[in-house]
Amino acid sequence: MIHRLWTKTQDYASQVLLGLILVAAIIYLSMVSEHFLTWFNIRNILDQSTLLVIMGVGMTFVICTAGIDLSVGAVVALSGICMATAMHSGLAVGPAILLGLLAGTIIGLLNGLIISAFNINPFIVTLGTMSVTRGIALIMTGGIPIYGFSTAFTWWGSGHIGPINPPMLLALGIALAGAVVLNYTKLGSYALALGGNEEALHRSGVATKKNKVIIYGICGFTAALAGLVVTARLNTAEPLAGYMFELDAIAAVVLGGTDMKGGRGSISGTVIACLLLGVLRNGLTIMSIPSYYQQLAIGLIILIAVIISELRFRNTLNRLQEAN
Amino acid sequence: MKMRKVGSLVLILALLVSLVGCGGSTQNSDNNQAAPTPQQSEAANAKMQEMEDILMAQLQPLPETNTGDKIGILVITLTNPFWVGMKEAYEAAGQELGVEVEVMAAPTENDSKSQLETLQAMTAKDYKALIISPIEPFNLVPGIVQANNKGIKVVNLGPGVDTAAVANAGGKIDGRICVDFEEQGKLAAEYIIEKMGSEGGKVAIIQGIPGAGQSEGRTQGAKKAFESAPNVELVSIQPANWDRNTAYNTATNLIQAHPDLKGIFCCNDVMALAAADALEAAGQREGKIIFGVDFIGEAAEAMKSGKLDGSIAYSSTVYAKAAVLLALKTIQEQEVPETVFSPLAVVTKENIDQYEGWK
Repeated sequence: MIHRLWTKTQDYASQVLLGLILVAAIIYLSMVSEHFLTWFNIRNILDQSTLLVIMGVGMTFVICTAGIDLSVGAVVALSGICMATAMHSGLAVGPAILLGLLAGTIIGLLNGLIISAFNINPFIVTLGTMSVTRGIALIMTGGIPIYGFSTAFTWWGSGHIGPINPPMLLALGIALAGAVVLNYTKLGSYALALGGNEEALHRSGVATKKNKVIIYGICGFTAALAGLVVTARLNTAEPLAGYMFELDAIAAVVLGGTDMKGGRGSISGTVIACLLLGVLRNGLTIMSIPSYYQQLAIGLIILIAVIISELRFRNTLNRLQEAN
Repeated sequence: MKMRKVGSLVLILALLVSLVGCGGSTQNSDNNQAAPTPQQSEAANAKMQEMEDILMAQLQPLPETNTGDKIGILVITLTNPFWVGMKEAYEAAGQELGVEVEVMAAPTENDSKSQLETLQAMTAKDYKALIISPIEPFNLVPGIVQANNKGIKVVNLGPGVDTAAVANAGGKIDGRICVDFEEQGKLAAEYIIEKMGSEGGKVAIIQGIPGAGQSEGRTQGAKKAFESAPNVELVSIQPANWDRNTAYNTATNLIQAHPDLKGIFCCNDVMALAAADALEAAGQREGKIIFGVDFIGEAAEAMKSGKLDGSIAYSSTVYAKAAVLLALKTIQEQEVPETVFSPLAVVTKENIDQYEGWK
């Protein structure tokens, strides 16, 4: 019993460690600034982390398969623009949102199709679709932001549900759904197995290509959902929205303990990492640290956390080998 | 094993703390340093005084100073020399006027989301007023509403916040100070037209980020001037996103497509300098007029060496001081004009010696 509990803790050590760093950062920041630990500011941090959480969940799936999706930032922009264009040409809010989500999902599915059909490196494929998607976004808008939507739409970004807001609820919902799918469904196990040994999975009769396409579709969908939040929040769809979001999302996922080489991933880790990044960005601003140092600090923290996570994982592997 | 983990954890925390510490102390030492005082020529001093007089006239009656109020300032990015200059100007103005200023920025010129997050974090602090310069007209709107709700005054400097969008979101801007972007484009274009003389010729415009206020305003102003001039043909308007490398390539392409091009107006100096380099590299610099906007230090050097033809200047020192005064006026609930305009100067390689030490 105790032994099982111990191995269980070992499984989650990455997340526990990250959680401890998060708590330490919060304690430190609340000691140095009275403005940090106020509900007003905590709400800020949660609100700001929602985008990253939503995109991070999809990205976790992709990275589990040893893949990567560089197109998510551009998908954020394009899906927002699809929604905006649809609404401005008279479509109701609900169908417009669905249209935008569909557009993002299609780009995700396309990524998956090209990657698995032609067996091309995901980095290259999504680098291409990133540029294509951004290009379409710029062409559709002529470079000029589209703005001014009904409150039924902006509610998705800046509405109120008691003390929280719709993006927080969306992020929570997506994170829970993601955790259930990754841990308790076939698709989740296949995602992890795809990253471990695709060939073996294929030989055991699993439709690896189909699953891969679905997983990239999920990533496109979550990016489009992030597009909904950012467009509704700013009441504007800009072609340059989501610029470099892909890097933030990848950093959060890897920081959360998901292995770039695939086979190992955790939604809770991603969520904690998003919160940690949110807390650090906010805290460094509250402390009036100049932006140069903020970039340096956040970059170093990501590097250190990833190194620690890798060392820990290797130790676990060694232990397993010894046990065998 | 365990020790190592604990050790790593301690290390990461130590790093975090030391980084934060070193960042903080650097910032403080910045604040404590007196503003650098390059040699200012009499002529530049007189011109700056003239501009200050024009601005101060718009701010009458002047607010009470030395109040020690905390004013938060959000500029676009400190990777652009113009905003670095503005940061120094703000800090100097803060010292002169006896208020506490803190200048924050987005990590890069394009990162509109981070800029909003920075503003939202700033609204959690105890500032009396915020002076903000948005990356684009809409990105800071939610943060402005938050500041309004906390009773923090919001002054908009430079690139405009979309006031309709702010009103829609239930907020307001308490004061606005800016440069007339169209006027900047117009002045630059007029110089190019005058230099080309009666025979005219082909001209082009290199824009910043399409949709960004300064970029669109300057483009419009220059476009109107070019189009209304006889014998002047505007052959191309190309975006280069304020980016040096993009502008270099754009200028190369422009000169490839139109070898007989006579003038290029660039919406900022960084792009103008890149265009000058590109034309030089293509062996096509001779006889072509390149004009920028902002009058950054590098542009001044380039004008002296003849690499750049000119730039549109305004005094950052006076501009920042007027912005801080405007913020104080809003804090003290005084009436403020709808928009305060900063006066402009056309600096060219002919008159550059009169602008020695201008800032």
